[in-house]
Amino acid sequence: MAHTAKVSLNANSNVAELPLLESELVCIVAPARRSLIQLAPETRAQPLIPQRPLNPGEQYRFHFDMTKCIGCKCCVVACNEQNGNPAAINWRRVGEVEGGHYPNAHRYHLSMGCNHCLEPSCLIGCPVEAYTKDPITGVVIHSAETCIGCQYCTWNCSYGVPQYNPERGVVGKCDLCHNRLADGMAPACAAACPEQAISVEIVNTAEWRADYLSANAPGLPSAGDSISTTRITLPDSLPPDTGRVDTQRIALEHPHWPLVFMLVLTQLAAGAIATLWMMDLLGRAASLAAVLGAAALAGVSLNAAMLHLGRPAYAWRALKGLRRSWLSREVLGLSLFAGSAAAYAATVLLHLPGRSAAGFAAVLFASIGTLCSARIYMVPARPAWNARYTIAQFFSTALLLGPLFVWAVDSSGAGREWLTRAAIGGATAQLLTVALSFLWLSRSEVLELRSSALLLSGRLKTFFLLRLALLLGGGVVLPLAAHSGQGAIAALAVALAGEIAGRWLFFVSVVPKSIASAFLAAERAL
Amino acid sequence: MNWRRMAGLDTLEQEYAYSSSDTTGYTSAKKIPEKWVATTCGYCSVGCGIEVGVKDGKAVAARPLTSHPVNRGKLCPKGLSEHYVIDADNRLRYPLLRKGSKLMRVGWEEALEAMVERFRSTQAKYGPDSLGVLSTGQLVTEEFYALGKLVQLGFGTKNYDGNTTLCMASAVSGYKQSFGSDGPPGAYEDLEQADVILLVGANIADNHPILCQYLDGNPRKTLIVADPRVSKTAMMADLHLPLKPRSDLALINGIAHILIRHGLIDRDYIARHTSGFDELARFLEAYAPSRVAEITGLSEELLYKTAFLYGRAKAGFIGWTMGVNHSTLGAATVSALCNLSLLTGNIGRAGAAPFSITGQCNAMGTREAGFTSSMPGYRKFDAASDREELAKLWNIDESRLPVKRGLAYPDIVEAAVGKRIRAMWIIATNPLVSFPNQDVLRQALSNLEFLVVQDGYHPTPTTELADLVLPAAIWGEKEGTYTNSERRVSKVNKAVEPPGEARSDIDIFLAVAEKLGCRKELFGGWSTVEDAFNEWACVSKGRLCDYSGLTYRSLVSKGPTQWPCRAGEEPTPRLYADGKFPTADGRAKLICADWQPFPEQPTAAHPFVLNTGRTVEHWHTRTKTREVPILERLSPRAWLEMNPRDAGQLGLRSHDRVDVISQRGRVRGVELRLTEIIAPGQVFMPFHFFETNVNEVTQSAFDPISREPNYKQCAVRVERTARPGAAWQ
Repeated sequence: MAHTAKVSLNANSNVAELPLLESELVCIVAPARRSLIQLAPETRAQPLIPQRPLNPGEQYRFHFDMTKCIGCKCCVVACNEQNGNPAAINWRRVGEVEGGHYPNAHRYHLSMGCNHCLEPSCLIGCPVEAYTKDPITGVVIHSAETCIGCQYCTWNCSYGVPQYNPERGVVGKCDLCHNRLADGMAPACAAACPEQAISVEIVNTAEWRADYLSANAPGLPSAGDSISTTRITLPDSLPPDTGRVDTQRIALEHPHWPLVFMLVLTQLAAGAIATLWMMDLLGRAASLAAVLGAAALAGVSLNAAMLHLGRPAYAWRALKGLRRSWLSREVLGLSLFAGSAAAYAATVLLHLPGRSAAGFAAVLFASIGTLCSARIYMVPARPAWNARYTIAQFFSTALLLGPLFVWAVDSSGAGREWLTRAAIGGATAQLLTVALSFLWLSRSEVLELRSSALLLSGRLKTFFLLRLALLLGGGVVLPLAAHSGQGAIAALAVALAGEIAGRWLFFVSVVPKSIASAFLAAERAL
Repeated sequence: MNWRRMAGLDTLEQEYAYSSSDTTGYTSAKKIPEKWVATTCGYCSVGCGIEVGVKDGKAVAARPLTSHPVNRGKLCPKGLSEHYVIDADNRLRYPLLRKGSKLMRVGWEEALEAMVERFRSTQAKYGPDSLGVLSTGQLVTEEFYALGKLVQLGFGTKNYDGNTTLCMASAVSGYKQSFGSDGPPGAYEDLEQADVILLVGANIADNHPILCQYLDGNPRKTLIVADPRVSKTAMMADLHLPLKPRSDLALINGIAHILIRHGLIDRDYIARHTSGFDELARFLEAYAPSRVAEITGLSEELLYKTAFLYGRAKAGFIGWTMGVNHSTLGAATVSALCNLSLLTGNIGRAGAAPFSITGQCNAMGTREAGFTSSMPGYRKFDAASDREELAKLWNIDESRLPVKRGLAYPDIVEAAVGKRIRAMWIIATNPLVSFPNQDVLRQALSNLEFLVVQDGYHPTPTTELADLVLPAAIWGEKEGTYTNSERRVSKVNKAVEPPGEARSDIDIFLAVAEKLGCRKELFGGWSTVEDAFNEWACVSKGRLCDYSGLTYRSLVSKGPTQWPCRAGEEPTPRLYADGKFPTADGRAKLICADWQPFPEQPTAAHPFVLNTGRTVEHWHTRTKTREVPILERLSPRAWLEMNPRDAGQLGLRSHDRVDVISQRGRVRGVELRLTEIIAPGQVFMPFHFFETNVNEVTQSAFDPISREPNYKQCAVRVERTARPGAAWQ
């Protein structure tokens, strides 16, 4: 038979064009979907790791070939075995994206470890300098020994790469198996892949910084957040609607209860100290009990935040990252606030001089601390947090709860009218913040933002309405209606409950950027 | 409460430490074993070489055996985590005997006493064939060989079959019809040497992922995949044929029609090595492209393309799995596929084979050495010469060998429903998940007077119903051989001791034989598993599946070897290279196999066609893989695939919990997945999950020749029961 002849297999050709005589038969076997079919046979034998040492200005990175991956997840299993991780922690994950219509539908898989970014957001955020970017290999390495388990890196990474291991109290992540690389061995994931879809290669960092388009793929956050170095080979003919399959069910994020209380209570203390200092300036005698109470709250709530840490014994290390980390700055700012609030309280208690200066310092540090608190959350990887609404929300909490606290502690004082007005002002600011940010979320085209709005108006609707009711009741209705001490306490209690509910919603309703997950990805426990 | 951990002073550094060794390189210290034991993977029939890492008497790691010819240094995710199946909480450690309503721990003596006494008394009362035995494809060949003798000659019942009938019986029957014998003629390397590969109803990317390596190693190939679902494998194809469910036989006949009409056939091969061409050519006149296009839903253009590609191939390979086998036309479809190979002379040459990709790790072993659908060595029940030869080899009276096959698996179940089978022995299989139309099975088992289940795990849905549960050693705890899909015999080795009082299956069989008083007669001189192998190798001599050139020693020194391997001869990678077939006239038969619609067509009340299948993370009834945390993590539950167009009409959304309802039953609370990879009008569900068991709705429809169930198509409707996860709207 003549095998040299060629037949066009153009999908649009019709039967009539097909030759019926053998002599007319022409056969071009056009690879319909996978360009790799045209590659030379030696494709298989391509080494999985670089065959030469790195030159200056270069680093290692992963290459993932989406056209080869069959979604077998060998890489995930091999990674877990290599690193001895429990099943719930996966430093390498395989996600799914889908596009097209039957029968021209296509599902592709995304296998991702760490992207060993040029601007690693995990490293920049880390308060204890547990992360290093290896100066020779470019590998972003995490030290479990240094880590205090604050999990800030897990909020910073747009890909969800660092994962907190509650059993250990520290975070862990893919280190490109650099210790294996050093011995000339491929990383576990690459070695396990039956399709040779994962490999390690060398990248010139300057060139990559200038053009990192091939780090993008459907189902991945924009590589620009941190300049991911992973190069992805995409199929030639990706259906235009190819996208995530995990958008129909969004898991609630962890509530981080110690942080909910720490934030609300430090903000209450900040607001209270500011209120007292202002009253002091205006010549109204500050209530001693309120001053002492606010200063004590500032100290206690800051320490309560340690409950959030995986390794509270090493909380002090959090000051190490002042140069880069908002978390370090928050710790410093709020510590100075607690200290100066205590000093202010001492001046009031002991009638010491320098009262207004100490008060001013406390207010200043309270503001700085609260601002730092807000800045922690303003990270590109968590779009719903990454807005000025976060700052507005935190300061509004202070403005609402501070005056209410002072009023509740000393309801017999003469400042009732002034205090309730201030609280109503705070409540109004908070209502505006909540309303505007919800509007912003629900009108957004960004998947994560819109998903947050959907959570608030759907699954979390009851809590969201309750939060608004508490805000309105404790911040507006009760301050207007109540005239007794009990009324003041009730207003504070209701408003405080409202702010705690609001902060809980803040934590659970944020939808982080991450790599597309598999359809049946286990839902995070609440 | 660990205060050091709470304070953060203890981060489990030891547990998470890394270390380096010569055999592993830098890795998690707890995964570095004291020794590696080379063996063969115990899941599917690809038959990958694997090493089990052993530390302190426990299996702590698994890795590919790089010297093994099959898997080339890779494993699938199940293989990479296979060590977890051994030291699992669910392992059965002691015999359990039902006393009253509870299963109580007993000693082996009491257990075997009870078993033999109850089986014997049942047989005495209702006749020898009132005992049914259901085995598996999971044991080693030596065990299958021993079990066959024990059941057929020791207990003297013919009603013995394996779960392999649920799996590849259609391939066996099809091969027998076309070639005169079972035995896949090709080899995996054919996937690399073929220029056209046609996969029919085979989603190897999910089910045999390691075989995908062979496709990658073949850049010249054109891959054609026929599957109603856009499976992972269909997505790899150069040409996907999205045919209507169970229209495969019409497609194949249609291809053969075009091949003959356009002269794309090897007339010389047909003339010399086949019979029945003229009848076939006449028969195929009914399969003109226009009619086939209507039946399959494929365009005539696609039919021509496919036929021309295959017909013009220098070496055309056909592979199939359950899409073909799980059908009331399974055997017919297999023979039709064999027709294609025979018409084009694509058999017995490099790259050219009609190749059944088998299911279980040693389904092949039970086909060869078992005593179910044929006698050991592919000997036919109805061939007097075969019976005579075997009787002589075993030194028994020929009259003890049955002249026809006993009941096949579904017929054993049916006989239990009709109380003709009164006692049953189920070995290493879990029908309470895997058998179609579970109501019938439950009825059958509840009729039994005594049910023995032999398994490595308890509880499973099946062991829970047993009167006696025997604890068996599993993969990694015993020695023997497996034969893979390409007829390659690989050594299986023991890495660790079985837990508690669990014993290897062959040990149990010999102990039963001892109790039965037939050990000396049937297994005389056996003291090791190797003795069983050597006897089997001797019995296989001169047969197609000739093991006579194989020994345990040669399997180590020469590595895993394909049969036939006659003593003193080189093993043969392909069967039928000489064009001689084990039929009466030495010619392969061209079979006229007529297409019919599948038995249960959708109706207004049950408008969807339900397709069933697998996912890469799980193995069959999940008895093993649900013990592997990482696999459970990656595939935690079942799902139902539905096209968004259908879902739109029903008001359904992804993640809705739905019930799948057929005339027979209901699967409750399956998670819905809307996806374009499934055609409108069809739904798909994996069958691994006993919690949501698709076999509650599948039907009792069996291939008249192979007795394989028609799992793949039944009519269902889908109803929403809850909308939990997605409750934001």
